[in-house]
Amino acid sequence: MDDRPGSRPITPEATIGPFYPGIFLTHTPQDLWTVAPLVAHHPEGQPVVLALRFIDALKQPVPSLVVEFWQANASGRYRHPRDRSAAPLDPQFDGFARLRTADDGTMRFCTIRPGAHPVMEREALRLARPEPVEGRARSGQALPERVGEGGVLRAPHLRLTIFASGIDRLVTQIFFDDEPLNASDPVLNSIPEASVRDRLIAVRRRAADARGPVEYALDVVLRGEGETPFFDDWY
Amino acid sequence: MELARVDTGRVLPVVVNDRESEARTPSRPLYRIPEEARDPFAPVPPPPLVRADEHDLTRIAPGRPRAQGEAVLIAGRVLDEDLRPVRQTLIEVWNANALGRYSHAIDAGRNDAPLDPHFYGFGRLVTDNDGRYAVRTIKPGAYIARRDIGWWRPPHVHFSVVGSGVRLVTQMYFPGEPLNDKDFIFLIVPEADRPRVIGRPTASSGRDRAFEFDIVMRGRFQTPVDPD
Repeated sequence: MDDRPGSRPITPEATIGPFYPGIFLTHTPQDLWTVAPLVAHHPEGQPVVLALRFIDALKQPVPSLVVEFWQANASGRYRHPRDRSAAPLDPQFDGFARLRTADDGTMRFCTIRPGAHPVMEREALRLARPEPVEGRARSGQALPERVGEGGVLRAPHLRLTIFASGIDRLVTQIFFDDEPLNASDPVLNSIPEASVRDRLIAVRRRAADARGPVEYALDVVLRGEGETPFFDDWY
Repeated sequence: MELARVDTGRVLPVVVNDRESEARTPSRPLYRIPEEARDPFAPVPPPPLVRADEHDLTRIAPGRPRAQGEAVLIAGRVLDEDLRPVRQTLIEVWNANALGRYSHAIDAGRNDAPLDPHFYGFGRLVTDNDGRYAVRTIKPGAYIARRDIGWWRPPHVHFSVVGSGVRLVTQMYFPGEPLNDKDFIFLIVPEADRPRVIGRPTASSGRDRAFEFDIVMRGRFQTPVDPD
């Protein structure tokens, strides 16, 4: 097979269809408050609940929609090899979860409020691109050191990858409405209209139990009136 | 604050005659993230522990009877866009049984085809250090997607790749299936790219027909080592 760069374009994406196996959900963390049932270790940070509802162009709830959440820990550090920030990793927190909507289009994601963080190492990414080597991994390759400090600061947010019957992979980011850094977040502010930005900002609401975790709610509209902004991550 | 210039991204296509695609596909172009804020969207979850027999969907468990239908071997490599192997990365596979029925609660009231007691139709595996994988499954049957317009889905196997900072879900079709060119989900793939979602027949493996299906992932964010 031809292995020259560009000779083999990207494999096209497709919908997960209606029959995504439920066992793939149970194989993956669905609640990031806890490490495992009865384990005494817990992640650092403030537990929060994100209550989402997914709606289509006909204003109908979207059941069986799968969301993969990916986020920094309470200190603003991703468990990602490209995140070279000085913030500490949390041994109890990987920041990855997968949930499915119920028949009413809702899901409740129990997680830790992520910290603010600088944009992950872009410069290192570009420099780290090796020449393609046919059929072999370039293992043990040293990554360049961080190029400069003080990158662009991101407001606390969750990254969502969304799958459902009828759509290919969608990605977006969700923010918290009581967060002052939203005002300077470069992704949020790349959306010119405030009313559209607001569609990415989950609203804090009173929890039933005042001592319970803080809850944030947001409707995600896949298409139509009030459509949520989705991002292009082909870069 | 000064508003950044909006640079619009892709407009996602809607699958013809697919009501879910019509109701759920965003109508607006995707938003482009400002260059200074572009970093990975795809997660790097720890690779899960996968049992050695999970790549073989033709039996529910080792030693159990084989499922009905034709066993096929699908093997290939997962590569990033620089053609580096995507290593130690989770692949999830699922497909209908030989008669086109999924073992899924949602398929229960809408599909007359029977379940096969010896076929669940889902499995997992992790790519090796060359990005290679192999899965053995039952060639799925076609099934009707919309009776009112006679839309049949051709035999296809779903693939999901997650880990190492890359993310992709796709469907693999079988060569020479007359239903391929009538399937609206297949036809939304640009014509030049269609060969990339069709398994390529290779030398058979024992008695099984074998297909090669390489998956090339967008992104250069994958990395071989975690410096933790």
